[in-house]
Amino acid sequence: MLDVAGRTASAPQPGSLLRRPSPGALIRTVVIVVLVLFTLLALPQLLSLYYVDYMTQVAVYAMVALGLGVLVGRVGLMSLGQIAVLSVGAWSAARLLFGTSQPFPLVLVEAGLITMVLGTVLLLPALRLRGLYLALITLMLASAVYVVLLTLNFPNGGHGFTGYNGNQIHIPPIRRPSIATSDPAYFRYAVVVAVLMFALVAIHIRTRPGRAWAAIRQSEPAALAAGINTTLYKLWAVALASFVTGVAGGVLAGAVHYLYSDDFPAYTSITILAVVLMGGAYSLWGAIVAALLMQLLPALLNNWGVSNDWLTILFGIGVVFTLTTAPRGIAEQFPKDMARLGGLLVRLVRRGKPGPAGTPEPVSAPAPAAASEAEAP
Amino acid sequence: MYGLLSRTRVIVAVAAATGLATLAGFGTSSAAASTSSSSAAVKTSACGTKPGVKATGTPIVLGSIVTDQPGTSFTDIPDMVNAYFTCVNDNGGVNGHPIHYYIETEQTNPAQIAADAKQLVQTDHVLGIVGNTSIIECSVDSSYWKSLGYYVIASGIAPECYGTPNFADVNMGPRYSSDGAVQYALAKGIKKIVFDQSNVPGTGYIAAGPNALAAQAHASIVQLTEDVPITNADSVAIKEVDDAGPDGAVILNFTPPDALVILQAAQSLGIVDHVKMWGCSTPCNTDFLAQSLGATWNHKLYVNAELTPPDSANTPTMKLYKAILQQYGLTGPDKVTGGIGSFSQMGFTEAEIAVHALESIKGAYTVKSVNAAFKGVKNFETGMLCQKWTFGNYPTHIANNEDYTVTVENGKMLTAQGCTQISAVDPQIAGYRHHAGLAPLDPTA
Amino acid sequence: MPSWQEFQPFIVTGLALGGVYALSGVGLVVLYQATGVVYLAFGAVGATGALIAWSLISVSLPGWLAWLVCIAFSGALTLGYGMVFGPLLARRTPLVKATATLGLLLILYGAMDLLWTTSGGEVRSLTLPTDAHKFSIAGVQITYTQLIGLVIGVVITLATAAFLRSTKLGTAMRAMANDREITATLGVPVRRVEAAAWLGCGVLAGIAGLLLADMVALDATTLTFLVISSLAAALIARLRSVTLTFAAALLVGLVQNLMVPIPSLSNYNNMAPFVLAVLALLALSRRSVIALSREEV
Repeated sequence: MLDVAGRTASAPQPGSLLRRPSPGALIRTVVIVVLVLFTLLALPQLLSLYYVDYMTQVAVYAMVALGLGVLVGRVGLMSLGQIAVLSVGAWSAARLLFGTSQPFPLVLVEAGLITMVLGTVLLLPALRLRGLYLALITLMLASAVYVVLLTLNFPNGGHGFTGYNGNQIHIPPIRRPSIATSDPAYFRYAVVVAVLMFALVAIHIRTRPGRAWAAIRQSEPAALAAGINTTLYKLWAVALASFVTGVAGGVLAGAVHYLYSDDFPAYTSITILAVVLMGGAYSLWGAIVAALLMQLLPALLNNWGVSNDWLTILFGIGVVFTLTTAPRGIAEQFPKDMARLGGLLVRLVRRGKPGPAGTPEPVSAPAPAAASEAEAP
Repeated sequence: MYGLLSRTRVIVAVAAATGLATLAGFGTSSAAASTSSSSAAVKTSACGTKPGVKATGTPIVLGSIVTDQPGTSFTDIPDMVNAYFTCVNDNGGVNGHPIHYYIETEQTNPAQIAADAKQLVQTDHVLGIVGNTSIIECSVDSSYWKSLGYYVIASGIAPECYGTPNFADVNMGPRYSSDGAVQYALAKGIKKIVFDQSNVPGTGYIAAGPNALAAQAHASIVQLTEDVPITNADSVAIKEVDDAGPDGAVILNFTPPDALVILQAAQSLGIVDHVKMWGCSTPCNTDFLAQSLGATWNHKLYVNAELTPPDSANTPTMKLYKAILQQYGLTGPDKVTGGIGSFSQMGFTEAEIAVHALESIKGAYTVKSVNAAFKGVKNFETGMLCQKWTFGNYPTHIANNEDYTVTVENGKMLTAQGCTQISAVDPQIAGYRHHAGLAPLDPTA
Repeated sequence: MPSWQEFQPFIVTGLALGGVYALSGVGLVVLYQATGVVYLAFGAVGATGALIAWSLISVSLPGWLAWLVCIAFSGALTLGYGMVFGPLLARRTPLVKATATLGLLLILYGAMDLLWTTSGGEVRSLTLPTDAHKFSIAGVQITYTQLIGLVIGVVITLATAAFLRSTKLGTAMRAMANDREITATLGVPVRRVEAAAWLGCGVLAGIAGLLLADMVALDATTLTFLVISSLAAALIARLRSVTLTFAAALLVGLVQNLMVPIPSLSNYNNMAPFVLAVLALLALSRRSVIALSREEV
């Protein structure tokens, strides 16, 4: 069954982690390493603080998009409530950072674990629902969490379980790790955390869970028949996505210093879904594209004096277009379009010699079974 | 297959574009009640020192950060500041220097707000900040402004806008404005107050003011909060009226749309007269609200007003305000869409103060000199407030602490009570007046 | 704990709120039964129509004409969307079809804020002539507008149930929602039937938009996302029965409003629709069923 991400995934080869890498994979790895090093070392020097702050948000939401991509793209579970998950992670991290003096990395892991437990527990009974019902129930859960958060509020240095003091005039900022207090340093910190999260997800994809998820997305009855414990693996995906999003919430707390319930309305879950679809739910690059769309575009529009509403409209158009014409999203469609363009140019130049084949997929599982955009029956 | 799909893309794009173009025909243009013709008598050139002479020197760069999101947009305030500055630039500038004004919008996202502040300082090189109006900017940026020595002239909302050395506001903000509304009810002898406010950051801080006032007057007070936007106004209204009782008062602290639905629900349910009085903090002071409420609310709703009602004073300053609004505010890409009203009044006042401060600077215009000038504004008669305005070197700033009360009458807000001090029973007010050297009941600053 | 006397007015307003939820909820389920699409943009379409009506009224157009334009606009927009994207997404899962309507929601939401700005503190409100006429129940005044909202909900429910069961067009719609291609091979004019369903839903969205703008608020954000609470009622009925949706909506409105006078629960009353939906969905789907038909949800 093809779903939102629009492709049929076939199971990767066993022991893929230990296989000797092909030249294509080697080049890809080198490119990724170079890009990461550039981002860490050079980018903060080249950008103004305005853009550094926004790029930190890109790192945070890349992790959120990554988690959503695992659910939507890999397993076929639609979630319309990832913002609620992010808010739980941010809340936990803020509470721990105010209430304890634990080192920042430990707080991030704890926030991730708390979010993982809560996300799994909340969604466990819901996993027997499928498709549309599951998506809508996540919307309901997220809306309920938002109402609770409005009353609970975010920790602001107060005491008690909630850590919220409503009478506070001078709200202390949420602390950052001692090695990364300045904005450029914290940006680098966020990028390192993001790289670790992407690596965590990549490892999952290449080993047994990834294979199980691919089988479940292909056909859940068939997977069950093959002896795969679908409930366990679906839960694993939810746990992984929640953990990654929880860690992202922790990084967000340190980035912004001040958190408010208004920052996490249910509406933003719709926006995140839109950009993940546009970027491409299946590919890991898609998560980065999604984060750039969601966080960097507003920064540019603001500088050009264009209202943010145009971005909302753009995302709406993007969702509809992506679902109807480019189900795999920009991250996969763009290289294909570019390859097609490249092929056209090459043909024009060489006059008649056939163009090169399509670009191989970056960083994801081996080639999909069907290259066409048709539905599988 | 690919060709069919790309054709579909074109069709959809065209359809979307046509749809939007058609919708554009139903544009907003919700200009306010009236643009007075008498303002034509006053020349806008009164805003500057050299009428008709365009300023051509090196620009003085200023900036602001404002919330602009669906349902909550304060862009009229810096847009009016901009209109004033443009007028000044057309009439001699500040000692010959034009003012360059950057406006950064944000959607209540702390990361965005922090980034906007960095943009203004490090990329745009602003010398001063005027016109900030944001739900959370004061909290997010106050330590940044403090570290750089910026003294901001703003319209405050969050508690930090009134509680740090680096912000001084032309308005009163939700707590002190609610104090004013509650005070008016207590002065009428009401002994039971229901104070209902929107559940946004700082409800405890805001509630503390009315609590103190009620305690001192030996009146009982019920504190309620509502999540906004309100979707079941009927229940909210019934709950408020039940808690207040026939001798009580319901005081609201909401943005105009939410206050409106509560009041309309009360009217629709027929329970308006089940309490003695309805009150509202200053956001309700808008002719839009008065028009939507209609004549059944005449003299039933009393709204705290932190700015001089535009229709009640025909002073040169008020005329200048209307003239600048007409000539500079209603033209150009950044229109002041609300017309005459508290938003544009606040913008006018802030710009007035800024220009007055800038004109006092002898020597170079630097971050240091500009902010020293802002901080040094003392006893400036703005013509828009009850008191003269002072920034001052104090740990907290509640520069506007005297208010009017207005009431609904036939689609407009009219003065019900003239300038009255906010009671020093509110400990923050008492603290500020102590720092500012104001005797508690001294009517002149 | 408040007394029975104190609860009474909240029962009445609870039913009125239930009527509000029922309007959109019923509209959602009707279209879902006919086309398999959960029209999440229902609220946004109605909101845009209501704002257009407001704009026309504020330039002194007669009220009835403005309302007609609102209804026509909502119908046309929904029909247009359905005719373009219905066939394009016909073979995709209901989840994909619902997600696509989220795209329409975003487009309208952005457009509404651009065209009907709030940058000057503008406050808009829509009143219908039926607001002026009221009657009393349990010490609480109910306007005829609220009664009409409830009545329209009932009428739509009954009419749709009868229509889908008894008429040829209705049967065709039910067949199409089940399997579009087989229905086409049976000679049913699929595109025309679909068009009728979409147009009907759009008209309902316009009517609901006007009524909700009057009864709740004329605010883009409120009206657009009110559909989520109505969706809760629809989910309790598992999107399958219009009658159940109507009943569920009344229940949700009632429960939500009964929480308001209870001090410890009052702040959480907005959660009621969502919690009820989650509980209902989990309770009613205790057995896990692996569906093999095309109609997978």
